[in-house]
Amino acid sequence: MPVLEINNIVKKYGEYTAVNDVSFDVSEGHIYGILGPNGAGKTTTIRMIMNIIAPDSGSIKLFGQTMNDSLKSRIGYLPEERGLYQKMKVIDMLVFLGELHGMKTAAAKESAVFWLEKMQLGEKSQNNIDELSKGMQQKIQIIGTIMHDPDLIILDEPFSGLDPVNVNLIKNLMMDMRDKGKAIMFSTHMMDAAEKLCNEILMINKGNKVLDGKLNEILSEYGKNSVHIEFHGDGKVFNQNDIVTKVDHYPNYVEVEMKEGHSPSQLIKKVIDTVEITAIQSSKSSLNEIFISLAGGN
Amino acid sequence: MDKILTIIKREYKEAVFKKSFIIMTLLTPIIMIAMGIVPSLLVRMDIEEPTVLSILDESGIIADKMPEALDDSLKDGTPRFIINILQPNSDTDQIIEAQKENVNSETIDGFLVIPKDIVEGDDLKYYSKNVANFDLNRRLQKIVSTITIDHRLQNSGFDHEVINELTKSVGIKTIKITKEGEESERGFIDEFFSTFIFVLILYVTLIMYGMSIMRSIIQEKTTRIIEVLLSSANPFQIMAGKILGQGSVGLTQYVIWVLFGFILIFFGARMMPVSADAFSFSPEILLYFILFYLLGYFLFSTMYTGVGAITNTDQEAQQAATPITFMLIIPLILISFMVKNPDSTIVQVLSYIPFFSPIIMFARINLSTPSMIEIWTSVLILIATIVLMILLVAKIYRVGILMYGKRPTLPEIMKWIRL
Repeated sequence: MPVLEINNIVKKYGEYTAVNDVSFDVSEGHIYGILGPNGAGKTTTIRMIMNIIAPDSGSIKLFGQTMNDSLKSRIGYLPEERGLYQKMKVIDMLVFLGELHGMKTAAAKESAVFWLEKMQLGEKSQNNIDELSKGMQQKIQIIGTIMHDPDLIILDEPFSGLDPVNVNLIKNLMMDMRDKGKAIMFSTHMMDAAEKLCNEILMINKGNKVLDGKLNEILSEYGKNSVHIEFHGDGKVFNQNDIVTKVDHYPNYVEVEMKEGHSPSQLIKKVIDTVEITAIQSSKSSLNEIFISLAGGN
Repeated sequence: MDKILTIIKREYKEAVFKKSFIIMTLLTPIIMIAMGIVPSLLVRMDIEEPTVLSILDESGIIADKMPEALDDSLKDGTPRFIINILQPNSDTDQIIEAQKENVNSETIDGFLVIPKDIVEGDDLKYYSKNVANFDLNRRLQKIVSTITIDHRLQNSGFDHEVINELTKSVGIKTIKITKEGEESERGFIDEFFSTFIFVLILYVTLIMYGMSIMRSIIQEKTTRIIEVLLSSANPFQIMAGKILGQGSVGLTQYVIWVLFGFILIFFGARMMPVSADAFSFSPEILLYFILFYLLGYFLFSTMYTGVGAITNTDQEAQQAATPITFMLIIPLILISFMVKNPDSTIVQVLSYIPFFSPIIMFARINLSTPSMIEIWTSVLILIATIVLMILLVAKIYRVGILMYGKRPTLPEIMKWIRL
């Protein structure tokens, strides 16, 4: 059963439609990515899921129930723009966030200490937030999001503004959580990050769904299936078979576009006796190219 | 409810353990007492020196009788006035010049010239470096006029004894009727000071806590803490938590002050070096003080919350909050009028209008004897207004906290309210 079910949600601000008829499900043990450029409606969608703003129509169900405030403690939400009380002690801030998520004070404290140690911030627990570096503050934010052990984690642009160390940290954390069976959903405008992390994606643009589904299916369906081959010998051999659709010849290499249902290794078997292959690289189109080709046409 | 409590707890802890809170809480009673004591202490400690006066009596009928009227003594028993009566001669101008020189060099404190035609109505002349000493000026004037009138009457054939009997003046004693029917002697100054101190504290704390909640909402917006809070609590919980949290901070402060007040009432006379007249209010006033502070706090902090929600910077907010701040200033401007006319129609009407009643109804209770029905009508109107205001501001807050950038226009705000 999906953890999160979203059906046909619509949000309009006057004449402007921020989100138009968007539906998707997020399941346990999956990482679901919402992709799109700035202003596509990602944050609005997430705010509707978080019950911060109400959709004009459509339904949002979490754990089988219609979304309501009592479910918020089962969600770990990292907003796109996020702040901390600068004058609070690190440990007090985290205990406060834990308690807001329904934890008892003692449990919140225990969890805060555990995560601070894990992120090598143990000795900073008595410092004020404003004495911490920006990277450390980002770690505190991340701890605040997951310290209450939520079943669904929603991250809005988690990589924006993070330093490279923390980008890696959060990626590893997402994969850890996925392996523990949590459902994870995140939004980003960075397609390559999504390509590495997601099981499923939803692409939206100007509030409308462009495309959704399993990542590998999307890549094989919409991506051109081509191979870049460097070789010595007579390149004509690449044209002499029925599993390619197009061959572009260059001095030292060829770009071969494969027919549907055929893999580069089949081609290599056919040519390996005639030419000497020095390098081979599959050049699938990236999500970015797919997005541009689909959204650009709209 | 748990979430509201969590937010209350945070607001409370972060405020009460701040240095500024502790200092303000302890300093206010000290300033209060100082305002009551220092003037009387100063009067006490005033070093008393005899006043040296020269008198030139051109009429020749007044000066002889003056030492008799100025025969009081200082605390150490020596005479208060050292009087030097000058005999007029042909060259009075020269005498006057010489005495003016003496005033200037401070060998004498004052020089009084009684003109020849004093009985016919000429004015006295008094030369001194300190002409603003009203007590002395008035005293000299009164003595000379009494002697002059005496003289006129005697010339008209009245007997000295009869004159004394006929010209006896009347005194006045002011007695305030309190609710318990007790009589206490209080003058304008006492009334003014005790009311002024209370009203000033109400005014300062209402503005201070209102502004503080407004600033903290703007801070949560600009630092985007609000986004994090919204991940677990809804806007109403956050707003309620903040208002109640700051409210408990203020209540803590008031309870400390009121305990202080009780100590003054019951032990004040023993502790004070001077009579504690300015603190002679009844204990129930202190309970009304807390009640009207709380009601005023909820009304004004809710309004300031609304302003915080629609603005983005402190300056912008201060500007937008001016009408609210003004509503708090009006009772302060009226205080002197209220002390003189606590039962005038305008004060009565204002004591029912919710934006003024927290301060004005309280001042009325302190100054006069409004009936229980009047007091509770005012309180109920206030409570109803607070409830309406909370419902209204909650709608503005919901939308406002996620609006960054441009300040919304009035029509836009009206749209949020109708949502």
